[in-house]
Amino acid sequence: MLVLEFVVILLLVSIFAGIFGSIVGLGGAVVTTPVLTLLLGVDVHFAIGASIVSIIGTSSGAASTYVKDQMTNLRVGMFLEIATTSGAIVGAAVAIYANSFVLKLVFGSILAISLIPTLLKIGEDLPRNPELTGLSKRLGLTGSYAEPNGTIVNYNATGPKAGLFGMAIAGLLSGLLGIGGGAFKVLSMDLAMKLPMKVSTATSNFMIGVTAAASAGIYFARGDVNPLIVAPVALGILLGAMIGARYLVRARNPTIRKIFAVVLAFAALEMVLSAFGI
Amino acid sequence: MRDSESIADVISRVLRYGVLISAAIIIAGLLLLIAANGLSDATPLLNFDLRQAPTLGSFASGLASLQPYSVIELGAIVLIATPVSRVLISVFLFAAQKDRTYTLITLVVLSLLLFSMLVTPFIPLFQG
Repeated sequence: MLVLEFVVILLLVSIFAGIFGSIVGLGGAVVTTPVLTLLLGVDVHFAIGASIVSIIGTSSGAASTYVKDQMTNLRVGMFLEIATTSGAIVGAAVAIYANSFVLKLVFGSILAISLIPTLLKIGEDLPRNPELTGLSKRLGLTGSYAEPNGTIVNYNATGPKAGLFGMAIAGLLSGLLGIGGGAFKVLSMDLAMKLPMKVSTATSNFMIGVTAAASAGIYFARGDVNPLIVAPVALGILLGAMIGARYLVRARNPTIRKIFAVVLAFAALEMVLSAFGI
Repeated sequence: MRDSESIADVISRVLRYGVLISAAIIIAGLLLLIAANGLSDATPLLNFDLRQAPTLGSFASGLASLQPYSVIELGAIVLIATPVSRVLISVFLFAAQKDRTYTLITLVVLSLLLFSMLVTPFIPLFQG
């Protein structure tokens, strides 16, 4: 394949990845990794090096819009980042001792199982607004955003400790496997902290960049960041993420949950298949 | 509420500038790469066994002579630095508001992040 062909294909795939990644808060690596390894025959280490860049691109490209429009809850995101970054460091430290087959099988299954509560909430617009108490109150884990029709949605977060635990798992997984953190972040905020779906995906999107940046140094030092792959991925992802962010702000919560459920099913399948080297 | 809105504005702007600067550099690097190698075979460039980890020296001399790979790497570094600067600036924004809890929270996140980015690549335990 010619360099030019490779660049154009990867650019187009990455735009698509950026759109979906930014809407569901997962980072476009769910799309770029299988395309790179299965379709383009790129070594898996290069694909993981590119996934770090694609996650940071998805996050930063969309976050400027999400933060400005108050879709991202800054306090929730920054509080939970303590757990994701700690988890990522521990994960990276124990990665050599870990059996990636078992890990992928276990976490892929957890993702698949978490489809059930996600599907049970299909059609839910806003969660019942819990009262702001305890730690959530002390940390001011509350917020509001404007729906496209102009209504202001006020919400409070509940279960900050459960959220923190879920985030530690998400970080651990990113550190261990370099993948899968975003899905656990959205699930923690949606299921444990009862945030509106759009806020959960936009806040996850805000956080995944920091988790990925935490391990970027290691991949650079190993030579896993291949500029020929990274350039079209970064540019496509950034463009896609800007498009996706505009869509999310205007979309309804139930629609975002449906898209998330589809991507979650895909991510679970991908993780289980990759356990078997597919 | 007004105060946290202004924090949001500043963070949003930091992210936007970081993204635009990195995109501009990567576009320049990609154009240089296509001009030099666009019509050659991509296979040798994608061979994992031939990969080269950039060193500070090779990166600096590559930039000086506008090597496409070094320019793209510079863009990637700016992209990676974007979320880090967002955390760094948040520390100052919360400190300026005298919000001690969140100054501390963001400071902890920043320390963990810098430790992970800059220190762990040199610890054998993390070499996996």
